[in-house]
Amino acid sequence: MLRKDLRRGFLSIVAGLLLWEILARLLLENELLIPPPSSVVRSFWKLASTGQLNRHFAATVLEFTYGFAAACVVGIALGYLMGMYKWFDEWMDPWIATLYSIPIITVVPLIIIWFGLGMLSKVIVVFKITAVEIILNTAAGIKTIDPVWLEVSKSLRLSRWETTYKIRLPAALPYIVTGMRLGVGRALLGVIIAELLASNAGLGYLLRDASETWDSPKLFVTVVLLAAMGIVSFTLIKKGEQKLAPWRETAEW
Amino acid sequence: MLELYKKNSPAIHKLLSIMCGLAVWHVLATVIVADSSFLVSPLAVAAKSYEMLFQTAELYPHLLASSSIFFYGYLLSIAAGVPLGFLMALSPAVRDYVHPWMTTLYTTPRIAFAPVLLLWLGIGAGAKVAIVFLGCVFPILINSYYGMRVVNREFVELARSFRLTRLALFWKILLPASVPFILSGLRLALGRGLTGVAIAEWFGATEGLGYLIFFAGQTLNVPVLFVGVTAFALLGILGFEILRKVEEIATPWRKKLQT
Repeated sequence: MLRKDLRRGFLSIVAGLLLWEILARLLLENELLIPPPSSVVRSFWKLASTGQLNRHFAATVLEFTYGFAAACVVGIALGYLMGMYKWFDEWMDPWIATLYSIPIITVVPLIIIWFGLGMLSKVIVVFKITAVEIILNTAAGIKTIDPVWLEVSKSLRLSRWETTYKIRLPAALPYIVTGMRLGVGRALLGVIIAELLASNAGLGYLLRDASETWDSPKLFVTVVLLAAMGIVSFTLIKKGEQKLAPWRETAEW
Repeated sequence: MLELYKKNSPAIHKLLSIMCGLAVWHVLATVIVADSSFLVSPLAVAAKSYEMLFQTAELYPHLLASSSIFFYGYLLSIAAGVPLGFLMALSPAVRDYVHPWMTTLYTTPRIAFAPVLLLWLGIGAGAKVAIVFLGCVFPILINSYYGMRVVNREFVELARSFRLTRLALFWKILLPASVPFILSGLRLALGRGLTGVAIAEWFGATEGLGYLIFFAGQTLNVPVLFVGVTAFALLGILGFEILRKVEEIATPWRKKLQT
């Protein structure tokens, strides 16, 4: 038997879907406004079997992965330097703060002007969003390291390199993962917006295509897919966070 | 002189960094790129903002439209998020039934709902407020929930020993104790709400900062684009400052603890 809260959650989802189906079929009878779940599933099947879905999905995932990977490398390096050297922190701070406080999506048109309509502009959007989060969190992690650990490394006569590799970076790891988690959600939003504004592939493009052709079942397929993507990436990162830093209480959502 | 430098070195470094950055930006824009449909100098952005603020005054309607959408969406999400969060914290049944829907809605990129909401509510103010609402409500809800969940047990026990009624327990203990959490939810919601405003104004809007940015992007009008982005950043900073003031007023005991 499942746990009580899981059972209730499952029940709630099933009841919600049923209610949606009944309401859409009996009361509204308007596919345009609210398509019933069954026609959403049918539309999903149609899109999947023609290979369209695959193409758009792959484009979004690829853009996301490239941007994310680059942001991890650059973000950890810059964050490390900011945590280690006070002057560097002070020089970077105003710019990072500016980048952080500007709503991401307002700079998307600018990024498209600069980097074109292709894949590169979307990778840059993901990169920008994730890098800022990782930089801030890595710097915080490096700064708040327990001084006792550094003393231990001194008494063991570890070289600078070893101190970095064996003490500082592992100590900052939970912070870094937190930065990644924060980055994922925002980056997903960013990549979808960039695709929506200007592109010819990706889930954002599919979203615009569906809404401009008034194809509501297709629109809902995209919404459900995006929801699934959000949930899966969030769960993965959360699992990672718990594994790397089991002593830290992670966010429930 | 040296002493003065040592005392204020962080501020001086930051100032220097901003100056150098702006100088590099200026040189990059005027000498290296030299294409005004690509990048313009910060001076040109300043000139354009001056013009839009004091000469043609065309920025004000956009500012007003964006702020009012933001304001309504934000207020609505406080009105809905805080009570629902409390309800979830106090009743496990409500929590279990609402939880899966909330996780789904919260982790889905909000932009996905924008076309759907537009379809349902039309291109008027309703859909825009709804998009902002959707962005703001979850951080507020989740933080209210947490705030009420993690209230110190000793406070509750103290209330019991004073034989407070349930209502008094809520008003005197649970609510004040969760205020700091709600405020940090409001802070999170601020940034998400501004993003929501921009998203909302991309779809079928005729005014607002988001529209301004979107339109400038489409017509390669880079100076106006920068003005719009700057206005958004300033609105965000203004909002944070207001919230900080609210926090000082709403949680006076925090300041006492610090000093």
